[in-house]
Amino acid sequence: MARLPDDVPARPPLPVKMVIAGGFGVGKTTTVASISEIAPLTTEASITSVAAGVDDLTHTPQKTTTTVALDFGCVTLDPTLKLYLFGTPGQERFGFMWDDLVEGALGGLVIVDTRRLDDCYAAVDYFEHRDIPFAVAVNAFDGQVEHDLGDVRWALDVRDNVPLTVFDARERGSVRDALLVVLEHALARAGG
Amino acid sequence: MTAGEAPSGSAADDAYPEPCPGSYPQPHPEPHTEPVRPASAVRPFLLTAGRVAGGESLVPPIPVETQVVATSGGIAALDTFAFEHRDIVAVCQEPLSLAEIAAKLRMHLNVIRVLADDLRVDGRLTLHLPQGNPARDASVLRRVIDGLRAVPDSRGARRDY
Repeated sequence: MARLPDDVPARPPLPVKMVIAGGFGVGKTTTVASISEIAPLTTEASITSVAAGVDDLTHTPQKTTTTVALDFGCVTLDPTLKLYLFGTPGQERFGFMWDDLVEGALGGLVIVDTRRLDDCYAAVDYFEHRDIPFAVAVNAFDGQVEHDLGDVRWALDVRDNVPLTVFDARERGSVRDALLVVLEHALARAGG
Repeated sequence: MTAGEAPSGSAADDAYPEPCPGSYPQPHPEPHTEPVRPASAVRPFLLTAGRVAGGESLVPPIPVETQVVATSGGIAALDTFAFEHRDIVAVCQEPLSLAEIAAKLRMHLNVIRVLADDLRVDGRLTLHLPQGNPARDASVLRRVIDGLRAVPDSRGARRDY
C-alpha cells in the first residue's frame, strides 16, 4: 500500500453519534451491544448534578461532580463514516453530562420498559427541551408489550410527531430499525 | 475544519445553560444507583496538573466522538514520552475517538481531553473535530441511513428499501 507523506495521516472517518437514553436497567447497554462492532466500552466521565440547596442561605445551587460509567459502541458504516452510540448515564438530574454528549448528536432513542414508564420521562423531557430529534422505542422483553402503543403515547405525553416504535434490544436488526426510525425522523426535520 | 481548530460552538453560557431545578420529573426519591467504578489510586487530574475539560471549564469540551490520530512525528518520538502521553500516541496510530482512547487506557474522559489537546499543541496528534451540526445536515443523515440499512440483522438480512 502506498505510504502517505509524513505528517499527512489518512483522513479519519467522519464521526457521527446517536444517544441511547432511558431509565436504569431498561436495556441501553444491550441495545448498544446488539449493533456495535466492538464489545461496548466503558469510560469514566464526570457528571455535574445541581440541586437547589434548601438549607443554603445564599440560594446558590449546590453542584456535585460525580464520576459515572459511560457505555458506548460503534458501527463503521463505510470507511468514511463511523456511527457512535452512547448510552446516557443515569436517568435524570444529569443535564450537564447529557449536554456534553448530545451536542452534535444526530438524534436520540429513548428506550421504554412499559412496566416502568416513569423511568423515561426525564429523557423524553430532555430531548423535547433541547429540540433534539428522538423516537421512543418500547423494549419488548420476551416479545411482550404490556400496553397498547396508543396508551404508551398518552401516558408519556409525547407529541404526535414523535415516532413510537417497538423493538427488541437483543436483536441487531431490530435495533438497526429503531435507529432508522430516529434517523428518518431527523431527516424529515432537516428538510430532506 | 482542520486539525487543531477549537470546536465551533458558543460561549460557556450556551454550552451550559442554567439548570432549572425541578424541571425533570424525579419519580424516585432514593439516591441514584448507577454503577460507579472504584477510583484510581492516582487522582486522575494529577496527570493534567489540575486542569479540567468540561465541567467548570469555560470552553466547550472537545466532543467525545472527535477522531484522534498520531502524527508521524508523534510516532517517531514515541520512546521519548512518559506514561500516559506515550500510551495515547501509541493507541492513536489508527484513528480513534476520544471516548475509545479513554476506554482503552482506562482513563477518565476529561483527562484524555486535556492530555490529547496538549499532544495536539505539541504536534504529536491531530484532532479531527466533527464539522457543523450533522443533525441538521440532510446529506450526512442520508449517508448514515444508507449505511445503517446495509447492516445485516443477526440472520444476515439487510433492510433494503
